Amino acid sequence: MDDKTRLAAGIARQLQGLTYDDKRLTEIAAEVEVLNDAVRKAAAARLTFDDEPAAFASVMEREAK
Amino acid sequence: MINDDLALRDLSEVADAIAAGRITSVQATEACLARIAVWQPRTNAFLRLHKEKALAQARAMDKELTAGKRRGPLHGVPMAHKDMYYRAGEVSTGGSAIRRNWVAPVTATALQKLDAAGVVELGFLNMAEFAAGPTGHNVHHGHCRNPWDAKRVTGGSSSGSGASVAARMVYGALGSDTGGSIRLPASACGVVGMKATYGRVSRAGAVARSWTLDHVGPLTRTVRDNARMLAIVAGHDPDDSTTSEKPVPDYETLLDGGVRGLRIGFSLPEALAPVDPQIGAALQAAADALGKLGAAITPAKLPDFTALYRSAEVIVKCEAAAMHRPWMEADAPYANQVRTRMEAGFFIPATQYIDALRLRAHFVREFLAMAMDGVDAVMLPAIPFPVPTLEETDVETSGGPATLQMVARFTGLTRPFNTLGLPALSVPCGFDTNGAPIGLQLIGRPFDEALLYRIGHAYQGATEHHKKVPV
Repeated sequence: MDDKTRLAAGIARQLQGLTYDDKRLTEIAAEVEVLNDAVRKAAAARLTFDDEPAAFASVMEREAK
Repeated sequence: MINDDLALRDLSEVADAIAAGRITSVQATEACLARIAVWQPRTNAFLRLHKEKALAQARAMDKELTAGKRRGPLHGVPMAHKDMYYRAGEVSTGGSAIRRNWVAPVTATALQKLDAAGVVELGFLNMAEFAAGPTGHNVHHGHCRNPWDAKRVTGGSSSGSGASVAARMVYGALGSDTGGSIRLPASACGVVGMKATYGRVSRAGAVARSWTLDHVGPLTRTVRDNARMLAIVAGHDPDDSTTSEKPVPDYETLLDGGVRGLRIGFSLPEALAPVDPQIGAALQAAADALGKLGAAITPAKLPDFTALYRSAEVIVKCEAAAMHRPWMEADAPYANQVRTRMEAGFFIPATQYIDALRLRAHFVREFLAMAMDGVDAVMLPAIPFPVPTLEETDVETSGGPATLQMVARFTGLTRPFNTLGLPALSVPCGFDTNGAPIGLQLIGRPFDEALLYRIGHAYQGATEHHKKVPV
């Protein structure tokens, strides 16, 4: 079991109270890594302290035709 | 034969004929029931057909009209909806086994609005389990099949909505769209589907896939029909705090502006998703047709969709995992592919989920500044490859890498617009060499559904794709 799978096993068991076999944990760890990396990179390039989720609705209203 | 002719007419035509007293709601309902008798065995589009109830409703609508009361522009028109819109006191499965016998405690706002407009409800339609899946497979209720070729998928998750409208079993149907689930079946079945701006239509009383990315919307045979139906279901709803208070335009009266002078951004998005040559040729022909009508077709400047797509995945997985957790812990009977799509949500840090939400405002500003700069709309394929078969895309029984890759590609050009929340309209634009439909997708600025309808209506006025009927 590699470090990422071990971490996933810990999250499942210790934080979420869930049980998965090693094969599935390896798949999940790989999937989560891709998603996390994409969001982290996008966030690093764009987000500032003052950004909040509700800004989306404001932008949509402001940019409306 | 008379019934069949009536079923082949468009929603608007039938609604206007009922209003004028040329036909009755009962006649229209019987015409649909006759089509359903022929097409349900071939498509499995309906999960529940309420024949007697629908006929009783139709009789009541006719009686009201005779008494001088017309509820609205859909008075007496038979429809059916994706089985995720709650009707108080009735079973609502969400396409699942878990809720096979669950009875809804409330009625969805969208259904209340259709009721108020006089719609007759024929029943509820097949869908992907809990709206999770872009193909139309359903292991619990049977796969939905494409009316143009029963071997092929309908697209999903609003599979029954696409199939029933295409096969002329109903005049219109509600679907829902979290990653393409209105536009994909609209494209694969050859009908019109609108994912309106996030906040334009209430989600109250509809099964959630992702509260942040779900969009309610209509599937119909024509753009005019779609415009009429959206105008009914759109608008602010106190039961859905994410709905906008912006007034709802009378879309139908804005259809006839034509496209002369409009600027449409169009390029085949090869850098974003490989586009099959057949699909590319159909889109190019559509661009040429719009150009002949007076639109200026300019190259589209599209951003990289990777971050948009991945952010949507983070949001959907986290929200779905949270809402499904009690059933998942209880080992409830999900299809494997539905369960596994959600599991990563338990492992994504909350900070990543929140950042995905915070990014949306940036993504919208960037898209508007780049792709919408100097254009009124952007045109893309809805599905960038020919409609595949059920067998080729059955991840439940053959989840090999090629199958998984093909299924994942379905939403490559649709899911980003759920992250962006922008209006997106799918319109039929041709047929592939297998005889299955091809759909184009028009993207607009926030709350600019009227312009997308105007373009789609002009296109349908110059083409015949939407008039072809599966046999």
